[in-house]
Amino acid sequence: MRFIPNTAPIRREMLEAIGVSDFEELIAAIPGGVRFRGELEIPGPLSESELLERVSALASRNRDLAGFKPLVGAGAYRHFVSRVVSALLSREEFYTAYTPYQPELSQGTLQAVFEYQSFLARLTGMEVVIPSIYDGASAAAEAVLMALRLSKKNRVLVSAALHPHYRSTIETYTAPHRTELVEIPCSGGLTDRARLEEALGEETAAVVVQSPNFFGAVESVDELAAPARDHPALFIQAVAESLSLGLLRAPGEMGVDILAGEAQSLGMELNFGGPYNGYLGARKKYLRQLPGRIVGETEDRDGKRCFVMTARAREQDIRREKATSCICTNHGLHILASAIHLALLGTEGLYRTALVNTRAAHYLEEKLVGTGKFERVFDCPFFNEFTLRSLAPMDEVRKKLLDGGFIPPLGLGSYLGEEELAGTALFAVTEIFSRADLDRVTELLGK
Amino acid sequence: MKLIFEKSHPGREGYSLPADGFEEIPLDRCIPEELRGKKRELVEVSEVEVVRHYTRLSKLNYGIEDGLYPLGSCTMKYNPKVGEYLAGLERFVHAHPFSPPELVQGTLELIYELGELLGRITGMEAYTLAPAAGAHGELAGVLIIRKYFEDRGEERTRMLVPDSAHGTNPASSAMAGYRVVELKSNDQGTIDLGELEKAMDSGTAGLMLTNPNTAGMFDPRIDRIAEIVHGRGGLLYYDGANLNATLGILRPGDCGFDVVHLNLHKTFGTPHGGGGPGAGPVGVKEFLRPYLPSPVVEFDGEKYRLRDPGEKSIGMIRSFVANFSVLVKAYAWILSLGPGGLREAAEAAVVNANYLLAKLKDYYRPSYGGFCAHECVLTGRDFKKHGIKTLDIAKRLMDYGYHPPTIYFPHFKPYAEETLMVEPPESEGREVIDDFIAAMIKIAAEAEKDPDLLLEAPGATPIRRTDDVLAVRRPVLHYDDELKLKEEG
Amino acid sequence: MSPEDLLFTREHEWIESGKSPARFGITDYAQGELTDVVYVELPEENAEVSRGDVVGTLESVKATSDFYAPADGKITAVNSELEDSPEKVNQDPYGEGWLYEIEIADPGQLAGLMDYPAYRKYLETGE
Repeated sequence: MRFIPNTAPIRREMLEAIGVSDFEELIAAIPGGVRFRGELEIPGPLSESELLERVSALASRNRDLAGFKPLVGAGAYRHFVSRVVSALLSREEFYTAYTPYQPELSQGTLQAVFEYQSFLARLTGMEVVIPSIYDGASAAAEAVLMALRLSKKNRVLVSAALHPHYRSTIETYTAPHRTELVEIPCSGGLTDRARLEEALGEETAAVVVQSPNFFGAVESVDELAAPARDHPALFIQAVAESLSLGLLRAPGEMGVDILAGEAQSLGMELNFGGPYNGYLGARKKYLRQLPGRIVGETEDRDGKRCFVMTARAREQDIRREKATSCICTNHGLHILASAIHLALLGTEGLYRTALVNTRAAHYLEEKLVGTGKFERVFDCPFFNEFTLRSLAPMDEVRKKLLDGGFIPPLGLGSYLGEEELAGTALFAVTEIFSRADLDRVTELLGK
Repeated sequence: MKLIFEKSHPGREGYSLPADGFEEIPLDRCIPEELRGKKRELVEVSEVEVVRHYTRLSKLNYGIEDGLYPLGSCTMKYNPKVGEYLAGLERFVHAHPFSPPELVQGTLELIYELGELLGRITGMEAYTLAPAAGAHGELAGVLIIRKYFEDRGEERTRMLVPDSAHGTNPASSAMAGYRVVELKSNDQGTIDLGELEKAMDSGTAGLMLTNPNTAGMFDPRIDRIAEIVHGRGGLLYYDGANLNATLGILRPGDCGFDVVHLNLHKTFGTPHGGGGPGAGPVGVKEFLRPYLPSPVVEFDGEKYRLRDPGEKSIGMIRSFVANFSVLVKAYAWILSLGPGGLREAAEAAVVNANYLLAKLKDYYRPSYGGFCAHECVLTGRDFKKHGIKTLDIAKRLMDYGYHPPTIYFPHFKPYAEETLMVEPPESEGREVIDDFIAAMIKIAAEAEKDPDLLLEAPGATPIRRTDDVLAVRRPVLHYDDELKLKEEG
Repeated sequence: MSPEDLLFTREHEWIESGKSPARFGITDYAQGELTDVVYVELPEENAEVSRGDVVGTLESVKATSDFYAPADGKITAVNSELEDSPEKVNQDPYGEGWLYEIEIADPGQLAGLMDYPAYRKYLETGE
């Protein structure tokens, strides 16, 4: 077998050196009754060429998705990712390495993580950044658990415009702790501030609001955070489309206590939903309650600047059942992906990419409304996602777009099961769409 | 090395955008001014500088292709190139998680098939591939156990975890709302049946067990352990961290385990990525299938689709389906080896570890006697008299060009102290292991004759030992912290 | 403070002998095992505690260690200096590195603790 250098004869010599006559002697401790005898019923072994054929055949059962531009986002966005990112990520020193427990042999990973934390601190305006939780939904759930620990209260108010997958993940993570989740309804596509104020009470641990929210609308985060602060309850903002931070106000400037973000838009491909990378931001005073790894700067014996994993006493390998989370392996390689992506974009590139996104999205929205086949559902500012009501049946919209080579938007009526959203669709437009693409979409749907 | 921020120069750019920026649309019509923030200052560097910067950073790292990476319990085996290629196939890469199923039949089929393969390898009846990492799998697995007992109206509030377990086991149990009861290991480093008999009662949900355990030992009484746990109505959880020793030899499903989690980034050849992403699939016996997290991939004999498993499901545990690109690599690894290859991998790993143990046991006293599984636990206990700790041995290994083994884990009484947990996986050849053994023997001699060599180590690495206390007492967690510190002098 | 005036627990903690409120801390051996203390989580003043309760935690870079109440009583003072200077636990464990003061409800509960010679023997022999 080509991945196993020690052939059977070599292994026999090694067994001799160990002082046993055969392999069975080494595993004699395993009770015979539970031993597996016979051969596993799995295919293979395949030669490399057979394997390439077999997996490529599986891939070809997907449509040619490189050419199918998605008009859907809803937490996963197809942005352009430079070949530079994949080329650098494929350096074995990065992708085959373990978690950087030995700083002398991991300065590459550690410095890149520190640089990413620095980028994100500026992007979000938060005082500390945890660079990797699995993804946006699990980061949101960890943020809620953290708020429960900090406040020692057990009621959490959740905006109805939070991504339903984030909401479901929060429910799963808090179920064992009997946390009461209370939904704050929306009004006109935005979290209803008056209803939020009514719901805030003594027992409220935290408020969770996503912005831009699930319907694409940009929330007035500071106006929602203010009543929470007065109570006091912790204010958690979720961000599913982190590119929006290139244009919108920084959460750290709007009274956000804990930020739970999804970094997929910052250098990760779609990959059917993963792996992506979540992050958390928080006020520095909450550092000890944060889950996950963080890198800090220090010095080596010669006084040279270097980087180490730090504030480790929160983690499971040290604190066991009292740890702030069980998270161990995270999505470290994608920290690097985002660091490289953000370094390439730089100050101007980030801003201009964000601008193109919002302008292209508005271009399509206006064009579609202009066809007379779509109506606006909400009248709120949006970044690169928007909700429209189709006057034609959604199935027809889907079919036209699929035939035209686009992945259709998310039909909210059937997805959310809410009658008042029947016939509505959540569109996403990113910088990968040219004017010709968007005109083509308009033409397909305007007929 | 300089930070990327210190290489920034006004006007340099590393990106390109199409010329048409839809500039006729006024920004105020998109986002009103009061919702807009100030321009974020990142860096201004060219593509060339970005590529050089991160290439140089990569050279400060040590990867599997640089040499032996014998981290115990981490199974740092070779990550085949073909897996990286296949995971990058464009039709996979650009699949949106909200794609209509007819667009992504290949993606769905791969997920479904991998679940079937893992089921056959481990003797489990239903799999979810959703968990993003081992600990995420543990959390999902323990939540499944919790939901099951809730459904049956059984009040079980405690979870048993051996003192030899990874920290993730107690942490996951606590996160899933259980009170953790630690089981003391016996003097062989395995489960003390008497302790288990005492602790396993009707208020206890079950036992989380790693087998072979973190002391590198197969538990010889696994049959009896299962009897005790099941006899009191509990469930048995298998932590798959050490599954590499068992492929084709022992299937957790045949040993009475009800829930297992695997680490595709350990046993199944997918890379660790400098800390992830991995994947932590969870397999269960049929009676627990309804509790799997949402969504699951379903096959009706013709088409594949995603489905919510229903109200018994623990719910979603992440944003979307799975860490798909990791699954592709594991799938490719399994098919490359086939049934015989998997068994050979386990055998070669176990032989490697025992060979290393046999050659080093006279120099580094093992925690426990007897043969080990796919990793062995040595100790630096006997060097204390020379003022040498296990940490110093690990650091000295770096000067010899090796990544050190896992140190100070496992850590429990009576013998697992000052531990070095060494795992030479099946992808390591005898010569590599011989060279490592020779280095370890040299270091043992140095520790007696010239301990300063160890205390001053490493010297051959990009940096020397770090001041971890300073890092905590003076937290500098991003570049602006550093700038502030400099300003304050 | 001189160790001769202290009583010791098997968890390597000390408490002032024959006093109430009495000061409580960890021993020189304990601080050495823990290595550099980087954070101390102290109990709240006026908290009512029972013997054996975990009342706080010490953290080093790579380990944490809980400390306990040696008897029932009320926390009357905590060493808040440690919030900014946790290293005092290492530098002066029997002096400036004290952790809290406790008003002891029943001094009889301290009866099982060791005096300094007994503690030294315990350190040597484990008994």
